[in-house]
Amino acid sequence: MKLVLYSGGDEKDNYHLDLEFIRLLDKKNPVVTFFPSSSYLSEVEFRQFVRHYSQFGIKRFIHFPVDVDFDKILLEEVLKSDAIHLGGGNTFYFLKHLRKAKLLGALKKFALRGGVLTGLSAGAIMMTQDIFMASYPEFDRDEKSVHIKDLRSIGLVNFQFFPHYRNTPRYEKSFIKLSKTDPRMIVASPDGSGLVIEEDKTKFVGKNYIFFQGKKLILNQ
Amino acid sequence: MSTARKLNSPSLYHAFERLNGDHPLKKVSGVHVEYQARRRKGGKVRFFNFELAKEMGLIDEKHSNELNAELEKKILETFSLVIINEWDIENNIKFPQNEILPQTFMATRYLQLQHPDKLGRTSGDGRTIWNGTVEHKGTTWDISSCGTGGTRLSPACNINKQFYQTGDPTISYGCGYAEVAEGMETLIFSEVLHQNQYRTERLLTIIEFEKGISINVRAYPNLLRPSHFFAPLKQGKYQTLKELADYHITREIKNKRWPFKKTEYPAERYYQLAEQVVLDFSSMVARFEDEYIFCWLDWDGDNILMDGGIIDYGSIRQFGLFHSEYRFDDVERFSTTILEQKQKAKYIAQCFVQMADFLASGKKKSLQKFKDHRLMKLFDKNFEHHKNLNLLKKIGFDEEAQKYLVANHIKKVENFRKVFSYFERAKSKKGLYKVADGITQDAIFCMRDILREFPQIYMARRSLLEPKDFLEVIRSSYAKKSDLKITPIRVKQIKKFQEQYLDLVSTAAKRMKESEETLLMEIIMRSSVINKYDRVTGNSISFVVDKITNTRPKLTPEETFIIAQNFKYYQTLDPDKVVNLSIVNSRQKNLLTRLTGIVRENRESL
Repeated sequence: MKLVLYSGGDEKDNYHLDLEFIRLLDKKNPVVTFFPSSSYLSEVEFRQFVRHYSQFGIKRFIHFPVDVDFDKILLEEVLKSDAIHLGGGNTFYFLKHLRKAKLLGALKKFALRGGVLTGLSAGAIMMTQDIFMASYPEFDRDEKSVHIKDLRSIGLVNFQFFPHYRNTPRYEKSFIKLSKTDPRMIVASPDGSGLVIEEDKTKFVGKNYIFFQGKKLILNQ
Repeated sequence: MSTARKLNSPSLYHAFERLNGDHPLKKVSGVHVEYQARRRKGGKVRFFNFELAKEMGLIDEKHSNELNAELEKKILETFSLVIINEWDIENNIKFPQNEILPQTFMATRYLQLQHPDKLGRTSGDGRTIWNGTVEHKGTTWDISSCGTGGTRLSPACNINKQFYQTGDPTISYGCGYAEVAEGMETLIFSEVLHQNQYRTERLLTIIEFEKGISINVRAYPNLLRPSHFFAPLKQGKYQTLKELADYHITREIKNKRWPFKKTEYPAERYYQLAEQVVLDFSSMVARFEDEYIFCWLDWDGDNILMDGGIIDYGSIRQFGLFHSEYRFDDVERFSTTILEQKQKAKYIAQCFVQMADFLASGKKKSLQKFKDHRLMKLFDKNFEHHKNLNLLKKIGFDEEAQKYLVANHIKKVENFRKVFSYFERAKSKKGLYKVADGITQDAIFCMRDILREFPQIYMARRSLLEPKDFLEVIRSSYAKKSDLKITPIRVKQIKKFQEQYLDLVSTAAKRMKESEETLLMEIIMRSSVINKYDRVTGNSISFVVDKITNTRPKLTPEETFIIAQNFKYYQTLDPDKVVNLSIVNSRQKNLLTRLTGIVRENRESL
């Protein structure tokens, strides 16, 4: 399994995570698919995505919005691609449409088969067991723009992931509180930070914060 | 006083005062009817186009997109008007003097085929007056208001041979009122098309009255239509026609719309006018055909502006697929189809050649005489040229590549056009059938889907699609199993389509000294914008307008502006255009999400 979880930030911020992604790809002329969280103006995001990763020598990309109908021919190519990137946006909306399109299982299989799965913000949360983190803490959560009850997501990792973390007392208090009741480890990453999972190894990139059983741990890479 | 306060201060709204009924067209004899007007009470500004108002110089460029009390008052003072019409005069209706405006406003005369008199002596603006002109940054804008009362030029007056009281509920169109829904439809549709570089009227403001009645104010740099010319042309009124043509030429030159060539021969100007119409109408109708714009063009030239710009959205549609058999049922007759638009546009252009000859010689000859005129040949040539460019643009080639391929590899382009047409024009075996407002026969293939997906799949696979896969990608929701049979001809066409497409890419890549892969990736990115999955159709516009007008609590004028702006950004199909999103709150965001859902659901419809 090869996963890269990006918190957020700009291209410069994510340089080291990008290098890890390229290392994991390890293929000549790979095909990379971009899943935007919503098709609304996703062509603009796709263009930025292509421009950015072209700098790393990648030449073949597929744009695959999931909240609109797609045909199985394109889907076949998507699932055959070497890497899939799940974009940022509204996590609830993204999950609703990934489920509706029956792609949660397909993405899990893709990752378990060895495809590189990367995600930024909402896309990274999607790799965890459920998207609870999109609704926590109260002062910094995604708008529940769609009606969705089942929050289970792809479920590739056992910890919770919180993107765009700010190391302030308010956030710290909230996550310490949560970690006392939720047995799962919380990885909170500021923009530019994140983690790389390669089979059974996990590598933290940049500064990350772990909250577990009421305690906070700072990881500096 | 802060800068923001100064910019919003009432003294800055003086530009509205120019819209007092004065208009240079009034100097042309016989093209208008003048009406006194009075202020109409009870109106509220439902929408104001801040962006357009800034472009026209009506408000300062730095004005906030907020409707303050002074601005609203100015808009209502300027546009909340109703004419004192013939019925009012016949019935000796008295209005308070202080409500009557000092200047008169004109309703213009033009040819309309729904009038019994087929010469344009009785027809024209049936419920519209022209407010005047504003000049800003070298452009003179015409502004007119629809819904300001019934004029003597309405079809109802002339068919029933009587005048009507404004608002008379016994007649619809002839009552002189307009509706908010009409205004909203024009607003949403015209902003989307304007954003995509169509010439079109735009909506400046909607003033709402009780029961959904409104005054819809439109603006454009020149609101003349071919039908304005056709009335005096059909009647053989030389002097009026000459004055009108001179007026039009002067405006177009002043607005720098024409590359006007200086000439020693005054009559040559009229041929230049005809040539401009030929160029504008041939390119316009090619684009309409390629982007599936249904515009009911007919011999009266009433539904189009002089430069091929769109006016009157009541008869405009954008189809999701090439539903080229659709005809609107107007009770007495059926409309033209998309493919018949070309002949109608050509006919309109031919009338301008006839007009040029008439103005040059003083003698009106039969229209037939100009069938083979050099300008008619130019029409066909320019039409073909634009059809080729449009297709290359749709594939995703940039302007440089489009021009190169057309100039140097025309055969390859034309061959691909043939195979493209084969799929684009394929129709359902179901045949013609009735729809709510007309008849149609479904197109079975979605060309935007294949243009968007084929390069991506090819890029990943590096091999051509098998026929069944190709049909899976290109099939529309209208295609039934029987429409998708894999016949030997179809197999051949599928292979041709892919090979010729890739040959064009390869040819352009060589010229641009790029690898085919790099160019194909560029095409993929451009095509994802040009051929985006969810493009508005006529049906979706109607549902979108329903949603906007029925949103509760009612959208404020500012919110309506934000929604219209964001909707047009979402519908931008130009990969070279930078889209600047406005900031929206959660209510607006939810509404926009619903609107995108509507667009998706109707994306292949009429």
